[in-house]
Amino acid sequence: MKKEIIAMLLAGGQGSRLYVLTTHVAKPAVPFGGKFKLIDFPLSNCANSGIDTVGVLTQYQPHELNAYIGSGQPWDLDRLDGGVHILPPYIKGKAGTWYKGTANAIFQNIAFIENYDPEYVLILGGDHIYKMDYAKMLEQHKLEQADCTIAVLEVSLDEASRMGIMNADESGRIYEFEEKPAKPKSTLASMGIYIFTWSKLKDYLLADESDAKSKNDFGGNIIPKMLADGQKMMIHRFSGYWRDVGTIDSLWEANMDMLSGAEINLSSPSWRIYARNPISPPHYVGDNATVSHSLITEGCEVYGGVFNSVLFNDVTVEQGAFVEYSIIMPGAVVERGAMVKYAIIAENARIKSGAKIGAPPDDFADNPDDWGVAVIASGVTIGEGKTVGAREMADADLI
Amino acid sequence: MKNLHGILFAYSSNIRLKELTEHRTASSMPYGSRYRVVDFMLSNMVNAGIPDIGVIMRENYQSLLDHLGSGKDWDLSRKRGGLKLLPPFAYAGGRRDAATYRGKLEALYAITSYISHIRQGTVVLADGDLIVNLPLDDIYERHIETGADITCVCLDREPGYESEAYLRIDKKKRVAEVLLSQLDENTVPCIGVYFLSKKLLEKILADCAAHSHVVFTRDVLQRMQGQLNIMAYIHEGFSSRPQSVADYFKQSMALLKPEVRKDLFSRTRPIRTKVRDEASTYYAPESRVKRSVVADGCVIKGDLENCIVFRGVEVEEGARLKNCILMQDTHIERDVDLSFAITDKEVVVTRGRALKGHESYPIAISKGSVV
Repeated sequence: MKKEIIAMLLAGGQGSRLYVLTTHVAKPAVPFGGKFKLIDFPLSNCANSGIDTVGVLTQYQPHELNAYIGSGQPWDLDRLDGGVHILPPYIKGKAGTWYKGTANAIFQNIAFIENYDPEYVLILGGDHIYKMDYAKMLEQHKLEQADCTIAVLEVSLDEASRMGIMNADESGRIYEFEEKPAKPKSTLASMGIYIFTWSKLKDYLLADESDAKSKNDFGGNIIPKMLADGQKMMIHRFSGYWRDVGTIDSLWEANMDMLSGAEINLSSPSWRIYARNPISPPHYVGDNATVSHSLITEGCEVYGGVFNSVLFNDVTVEQGAFVEYSIIMPGAVVERGAMVKYAIIAENARIKSGAKIGAPPDDFADNPDDWGVAVIASGVTIGEGKTVGAREMADADLI
Repeated sequence: MKNLHGILFAYSSNIRLKELTEHRTASSMPYGSRYRVVDFMLSNMVNAGIPDIGVIMRENYQSLLDHLGSGKDWDLSRKRGGLKLLPPFAYAGGRRDAATYRGKLEALYAITSYISHIRQGTVVLADGDLIVNLPLDDIYERHIETGADITCVCLDREPGYESEAYLRIDKKKRVAEVLLSQLDENTVPCIGVYFLSKKLLEKILADCAAHSHVVFTRDVLQRMQGQLNIMAYIHEGFSSRPQSVADYFKQSMALLKPEVRKDLFSRTRPIRTKVRDEASTYYAPESRVKRSVVADGCVIKGDLENCIVFRGVEVEEGARLKNCILMQDTHIERDVDLSFAITDKEVVVTRGRALKGHESYPIAISKGSVV
């Protein structure tokens, strides 16, 4: 059946800058904010924007992501017509390759898109934290009769030099795109969210594919080519909370932002972020526990001190254990007397009694560059009394 | 596929539950921070691999319908079988205006045609207002092994446990006598879970219809005890069926004990409930929380001690709550002082109010009230 718009969600990223957190899972499957995975944000935004057909392009470590998405029921995307579809690369006749780039990933799924005969295609990433009404962006795209509309965000001059910057005239028409400019002319950064008029994009994908020199990338090839050809490309201004969580530090910081709840409200009924729910009982806060400025969820048992931290489901913090400024992912255990400070503890890791993980930045006042968040990979055990210092990563048992 | 079918009796109410069952049946009472009572038996059945479950309702079932929906949260939204909700047929006999069935047999007559279509050989009849985590698959195996006509699930002698029947059993757990009230301490109380074959169930129903018998315990267990091989299965974990507001309070507070939580929320037999898509609960720096069971989606800025807190509850700064049960979306404003109170769904307690109940008489505040 014909759809006005369908979304294509690029979820194949390896997320290599998240290091041990993405050894076994794709980046969009990384846990976030106590109850979510990164991919819940674009999927929920689609559902809330009334987009009922979403292709999820996976490639790297897809098993957990595939199982997580399942029928799409948690996001109300289990539809008889449309719904969510996992799109891995596949063999076509004798040919068939991995997705070579973001544009190539869409190119390889032209047949999927054409099934729905859409007027427009929304291209999304799977690793950003934000709430956005794509319907408003589509409205603007239609009103302007644009060929491509790119969501942009006002950033600081400092940040601008690390992002893709859109230079646009007063009407919002883009005349130049600069990737990580040393001297940014504007501070409008691309959020990696594009709406294309499908017939136009299809032409460019086909042309791009026959260009042997192209890296088949939206930011690097398709957008510059369309600009050079004078296609009508418009910015869509977004204001509100948006974070790229591509690095350990940014992932940690964005989780900390969830504590204040001031910038983005994860529980507002009008724009919920949906997630696949674990089946766990309510959490319990024990006799000698202290919980302060923290998020706690189902299945947790807290008997120790938890300060400025985000606990995911089924985490245990034993009596006398101390957790601050940390993110503790599902099923992890912090035993009696262990200290966890400024750390990310991945799923099912076990911090044995008396172990010390991470350190506060104050300890590094003289050489702040040496400080960083400590990371314990999933399933890893840190033995009794062992230490994992600031900025260190443990991806194997330390006993 | 398990050759076992589940029938849940979800129509019962108890006038001593007062405010708690004003708008709902005992089965749809909220319990344990994020559940409805019916979640326990329903999850027990799902965890045992029972593919088809019928839920008998009679009146006041709107809240139950809303909770169960298509059954998808229990994985029971199926093309073949799954969850079947069984409200009364408009023509179900001459007692159309009655608020409840007089007994389980009467409730079962009302679904005679449903029973005739059951595809499994054995049926487990269970009360929907029972809070227990039962290994129904083990009990089913025992039922088959012993060749019993009927297997009754009982608790080990627990004086004071209010039950519909008390069984005197021999060493092999064969039932020798069925009593409808507790005569002495040498009996075990039934918790209201019975296994029998579909064939026997149909035979019993035909027989009881002919004699206009309506009460399962009296007219089947007691009256037919001599003709049937009735066995008891003793369950050793936590089990409760709240009988009054004070009892509901007591049974809820039992969740503060780790051994009760461990038993009721067993990791291998998890209790499922309707998904509400709440974010995590936020504890503010000024909050002080001790010995409390808390669900998701709450904002806690005040003090809690010995509290059971449901989803979406907000407790403002300076509020002091001790021994309280706060149901879904309760809002406690600043400096409120509450103890031994139960606030039903969407209750608002305004700034500075103080209410104190007692363990023997907890104050229950009706759904949607503003104090």
